Amino acid sequence: MNGAEERRRRLLQIGSAAVFLVVAAVLVLIVVNASKTSGGDTNLEDVGLVAKQLKGIPQNGLVLGEPGARVTLYEFGDLKCPVCKGFSEEIIPGVIDSKVRGGEAKIQFENFTIIDEESTPAGAAAIAAGKQGRGWSFIELFYRNQGLETASYVNDEFLTEIARGAGVPDIAKWNKDRKAAATLAEVKRTTEEAERLGFTGTPSFAVEGPGTSGLETLGTPGEARQLEEAIEAAS
Amino acid sequence: MKAALSQAEGESNTVAAMRAPAEGTLRTIATFIAAFGIGVATYIAIADSGGGSPVCIAGGSGCETVAESTYSHLLGANIAVFGIAGYVLLLAASLLRGDAARMAGFGLSLVGFGYSVYLTYLELFKIEAICEWCVASAALMTILFCLNAIRMIGYVGKPA
Repeated sequence: MNGAEERRRRLLQIGSAAVFLVVAAVLVLIVVNASKTSGGDTNLEDVGLVAKQLKGIPQNGLVLGEPGARVTLYEFGDLKCPVCKGFSEEIIPGVIDSKVRGGEAKIQFENFTIIDEESTPAGAAAIAAGKQGRGWSFIELFYRNQGLETASYVNDEFLTEIARGAGVPDIAKWNKDRKAAATLAEVKRTTEEAERLGFTGTPSFAVEGPGTSGLETLGTPGEARQLEEAIEAAS
Repeated sequence: MKAALSQAEGESNTVAAMRAPAEGTLRTIATFIAAFGIGVATYIAIADSGGGSPVCIAGGSGCETVAESTYSHLLGANIAVFGIAGYVLLLAASLLRGDAARMAGFGLSLVGFGYSVYLTYLELFKIEAICEWCVASAALMTILFCLNAIRMIGYVGKPA
């Protein structure tokens, strides 16, 4: 075998090795991604689903829907609450599609922190995301990636992944806002408001519109239809 | 015996070279594909830099969903930026002659193709949305990989 052939053979061997390495790297990436479990980890689930669910609906602060909507449905929730997660997945989507998307009502999320000490930073992070128009994206994505109620998982890494997945554009600003004293005070204020309204569990709902005399509490309706009827009565 | 072996190898290589398309043709096609890839990746990067997302020509929200996902950025930058860099290097490799360009083109397109496979997996099973522009880029990278693989196998170690 002459020098040129030897060189060609060596280069082809290098090429074959490169193919092997890249195939192995891709397989490792896929296996690592696939093996991550959901719930309280940083492998976000349902990013696309949340984006699709909220697509085209205005978000201002923690309000979802047209700012001029006649009726406001208030949801007092705790991001660590598993029942709230159930509502987020089973009840609220129906209300969004039937009443919010068409502009009849808007939903305002209020933090009612009752689970544990991680509920407050979670709620503050949602408020900070709301300052960049991603409050409801954050809330919905948090619920879909929620960990066990008794587990400790609401750390900087988890919250940042949720914020990124929710599409918060300025993470540095979001970090500053979520740790601000005013944001933490806002979480405390809405929790006290929920208690003042007589709520004892999450999620609890209230409605306000032309058909109500101020804020009317609804408790915790078990079906989307009950919330829809309350909105219709308040219109 | 040695002479016979040498003759047999020479014939075998000649056959391999004859089967591969002309290197000039492969380079010309790769140049156009890489230039097209630069255009696609640049559009995705510009759409993202404006705070928006690429517009899916066939409709739907797949492009927006993928652009808003956490997987659309790597090391703080939109992955389309890395795509632009990759296509520019592939363009250069297709314009240059010699073994260095052949091996560089093959290596770059191999990495680009592998990463495209990974991104397509993410779209299908993690993000659960398909972005037409990402699919277009993956298709272009696949073609570039095939062209560069044929170029490398057919011509590496031979005079430019």
